Amino acid sequence: MAVGAYTRPTRLPDALAALRDGPCTVLAGGTDHFPARVTSTPDEAILDITALPELRGIRRLSDGGLTIGACATWSAVIAADLPSACDGLKAAAREVGGVQIQNRGTVGGNLCNASPAADGVPPLLSLDAEVELTSLDGVRRLPLDGFVLGNRRTTRRPDELLTAIRIPPAALDGTGRFLKLGARRYLVISIVMVAGTLVRAADDTIASARLAVGACSAAALRLRELEAALVGRPLAEAAATVTAQHLAGLAPIDDVRADGEYRCEAAAVLVRRCLADLAAA
Amino acid sequence: MPTVTMTVNGKKVSGEVEARTLLVQFLRENLHLTGTHVGCDTSQCGACVVHINGDSAKSCSMLAVQAEGTEVTTIEGLANGDELHPMQAAFKEHHGLQCGFCTPGMVMSAVDLVKKKPKASEHEIREWLEGNICRCTGYHNIVKAIQHAQQTM
Repeated sequence: MAVGAYTRPTRLPDALAALRDGPCTVLAGGTDHFPARVTSTPDEAILDITALPELRGIRRLSDGGLTIGACATWSAVIAADLPSACDGLKAAAREVGGVQIQNRGTVGGNLCNASPAADGVPPLLSLDAEVELTSLDGVRRLPLDGFVLGNRRTTRRPDELLTAIRIPPAALDGTGRFLKLGARRYLVISIVMVAGTLVRAADDTIASARLAVGACSAAALRLRELEAALVGRPLAEAAATVTAQHLAGLAPIDDVRADGEYRCEAAAVLVRRCLADLAAA
Repeated sequence: MPTVTMTVNGKKVSGEVEARTLLVQFLRENLHLTGTHVGCDTSQCGACVVHINGDSAKSCSMLAVQAEGTEVTTIEGLANGDELHPMQAAFKEHHGLQCGFCTPGMVMSAVDLVKKKPKASEHEIREWLEGNICRCTGYHNIVKAIQHAQQTM
């Protein structure tokens, strides 16, 4: 696209052609886009994807999985009929700004904006989500874990569009939770977030668990060692299973919201609380 | 420049706008509907809340062209002639405003709340208003006004 151009295609192939044509900024809900440009007049080309109906909608797939259109809003996530494994995702949706932001902001935008404090990333990691990237060459699917590389960086190629987020059927068993710590209760950027899903076995042990921590590293992190340690443990001992070693991969920064040491301590508390809550569900 | 057409407060309007024109700029500068305020310009304060197809949205965080073909309602579209909308009347009756700057956005958010959750508790009302900031901190009477309007709307 030409410098400073703006286009709002109504067909996906036209959007993909615009991306192939040259660098452009993809615009959807705009809730991160506009506030970042208030005092500047950037000459970037803008590809507005809000008129592409195929990017909306949340639906179950024939294999039992779930697909969330990249332009599905957080309000659509809250309103959708989803299994209880998605309770954490729904809770996170309610924490993305206020109602008006939830009405406009999109799931795909939250991922592509790649903020370390994006509320949508930990719950989707805990659901083993995959991202669907579409270009004129075709579609490729990648695990979300690894898609976000760090602050504002993803593995999306400039000619690709994030078109959907998929959750595999196996990840939709069990229950989900999301906990967020901010400096105040509402309308706040996270200091630490923890999302988890847990499947219980018939004998009141843990069949499987997935946990992710956000805002404590450049990209939100799955706690795979802890997940492995939890399998087969009695539900009642879920929270007590957590050791310092399980959180050793976190590398939080010091910033205006909190220092790294505090973030580490808070993350340990929230992981235990999340597990206790999941075990009691 | 692209042409944008939408229905604002029941009237069909269209105009030529630079593509980067925000909806709030279009409303205020092209249509002279200055009841919709700009407080923070960064999608936080909620002074610019309008309804797009019946859902509340912050008009500082979307482009005018993104409202193409939609039904937009602003604070000017609530009253029926000289008769205030029940939410406006409740804000007046219960002194739900001090300086008045946040009021248009507060009223628009509150109308959306009562339509979506007619029986919202005080806690739910306060939660719903998290994206509307009153610089006078006059929340007590704003919440009282909304509770009253739950009966009259």
